[in-house]
Amino acid sequence: MRFPLVASLAWQDYRNDAWLSACSVLALVAVIAPLLVLFGLKFGLVSSLTERLETDPATREIIPLGGGRFSSGFVEQLGQRTDVAFALPRTRQIAATAQVGTLVLEMLPTAPGDPLLGRLPVPKGLGQIVLSHTAAEKLAARPGDWLETSFARQVAGRVEAQRTRLQVLAVLPLEAFARDGLFADLKLLEAAEDYRDGRAVPALGWDGEAVGVSEQRVYPAFRLYARNLTDVEPLRVYFAGQNLLVSTQAQTIAQVQSLSRNLSIVFWIIAGLALAGAFAAIFAGALAAVARKRRELSVLRLLGFSTGGLLVFVVLQALYSAAAAAVLSAGLYGLAEAALNKLFVQVAGEHASHLLARHYGLALAAVLGVSAVAATCGGWRVARIQASEGIRDV
Amino acid sequence: MLNLNAVHKSRGLGSQRYSLVIPALQLRAGEQLAIVGPSGCGKSTLLDLLALVLAPDQVGSFEFNQQDIGGLWRADKQTALAELRSRHLGYVLQTGGLLGFLDVRGNIALSRQLLGLTDDGSVARLAEQLEIGDQLAKKPAALSVGQRQRVSCARALAHAPQLVLADEPTASLDPLNAERVMHALLAQAREHRAACVIATHDEPLARASGLQVRRISCRRDSDGGVTATLGEVC
Repeated sequence: MRFPLVASLAWQDYRNDAWLSACSVLALVAVIAPLLVLFGLKFGLVSSLTERLETDPATREIIPLGGGRFSSGFVEQLGQRTDVAFALPRTRQIAATAQVGTLVLEMLPTAPGDPLLGRLPVPKGLGQIVLSHTAAEKLAARPGDWLETSFARQVAGRVEAQRTRLQVLAVLPLEAFARDGLFADLKLLEAAEDYRDGRAVPALGWDGEAVGVSEQRVYPAFRLYARNLTDVEPLRVYFAGQNLLVSTQAQTIAQVQSLSRNLSIVFWIIAGLALAGAFAAIFAGALAAVARKRRELSVLRLLGFSTGGLLVFVVLQALYSAAAAAVLSAGLYGLAEAALNKLFVQVAGEHASHLLARHYGLALAAVLGVSAVAATCGGWRVARIQASEGIRDV
Repeated sequence: MLNLNAVHKSRGLGSQRYSLVIPALQLRAGEQLAIVGPSGCGKSTLLDLLALVLAPDQVGSFEFNQQDIGGLWRADKQTALAELRSRHLGYVLQTGGLLGFLDVRGNIALSRQLLGLTDDGSVARLAEQLEIGDQLAKKPAALSVGQRQRVSCARALAHAPQLVLADEPTASLDPLNAERVMHALLAQAREHRAACVIATHDEPLARASGLQVRRISCRRDSDGGVTATLGEVC
């Protein structure tokens, strides 16, 4: 049996029964469009929440609690783990401050790959920094400015201070870091710590006790970011196994993941019921079509159509309805999505309702698949149509 | 081309039994035959057998186009039978049997398309010869009954079959139209050298159209059933 001929005949019959065809399309749209809206809301809401967590590196930060003693080798090894995006030793927090004018700034070490800096230039050496947004505002500093920075210490009850000029390479966006701070190469933080510990910093020309060559530095903490949201909890478990208390956002992430899971369950229950209803409707439609078109089908059988050819004729008509319903539903969903996003979205770039191209593709495949199976089940009665019925034709 | 000997077909049992006996039936290319008889005598059963849609119960011999039809039925070669049907048989049905979703051109061309034959102009030529050339773009619902029967004749002949079967092709027509349709069908069948078997009530029309006429006669048997026998040309 020639498939293009069967497809063409099925299409001409489908067009000839325009009203009935439109009814079958609308019946499917009544199922598909609400499902798309429901899934769009679920996906849009969850992806917005997830995206919010993913775009905020602080969610992926793992902060060691209490004082530790970490070598640079240990932190380097952490940084090489596949589930770790960035790891860098920190000096003692009490020693990691710098004063610019009257403003005392928290100092944080940074290096290439720092998630907080994103695409901003990374400070190198002892003369460059990136300022936090609030610090830049208070200091009226802009990228390229030089800041006179002082580091104070007490030696035998006497306050001493050293100064150095630091160039502002860039200013962090507020959402990346909301406190007064500066990001600098670890060497600058080590220099500040050494100076405050009374040691000399030859690179900056600051006097103090000489540093032993063989002395290995020990860090009390580190800055560490998991590669993905899903890596946070396993890392927390890893550090717990090392008897190291850490603070994470694992609970917040788990809440969003739980919300996603629960919404998925609700969606699939509703989708399952709706698809079962659609299956029954298409099945009944195919049964009715075979009964209604029995005369035409028996003539086609008499003229040489096989059972398979007649079945393809019936199934193709169901697929025409499914394809039209999928396209129409996608259009209706598009309108609903625009309206929902206009009504409920408050942050630019987020979605109340959103679907990806693959979701449309999946919906089309599911609708065509369900239609084909249901129409095949319902249309199987064509096997009972005899060619002799075509001869009677009364 | 068609040769049947001692072919039997029965339906039902006891007093509900109906049996058709075809002692002998031979048709050569271009021969035209009318089967006449009262309603329920078995004309349609005979056509079903000739149309290869009904399996005979007993077969002395049943050959069509040099193929052993009895053997094909015994071997349940449905595909081969369907192939023979679509390639070598044409059908004119009582009310046309046209597909309402196709226009006249599509209906006539369908029997060719099913065989993968391209339109060589025969569709338009047949339509002209059957005086429906100006109706090609219309749907069957827009035609008169007579026009529909002409379309049915055109479809039956479009793929140049060896045998055309017609079941009461003029039963739903007024006498004038019946005569015109019958003449048009037979003229075209002659031109295409297709044999014709026409089941009809209208013996005078069959005779007037120059058809050989064979009657089916019925008798009630001792078990209460009916046996119908195809008679000789009369």
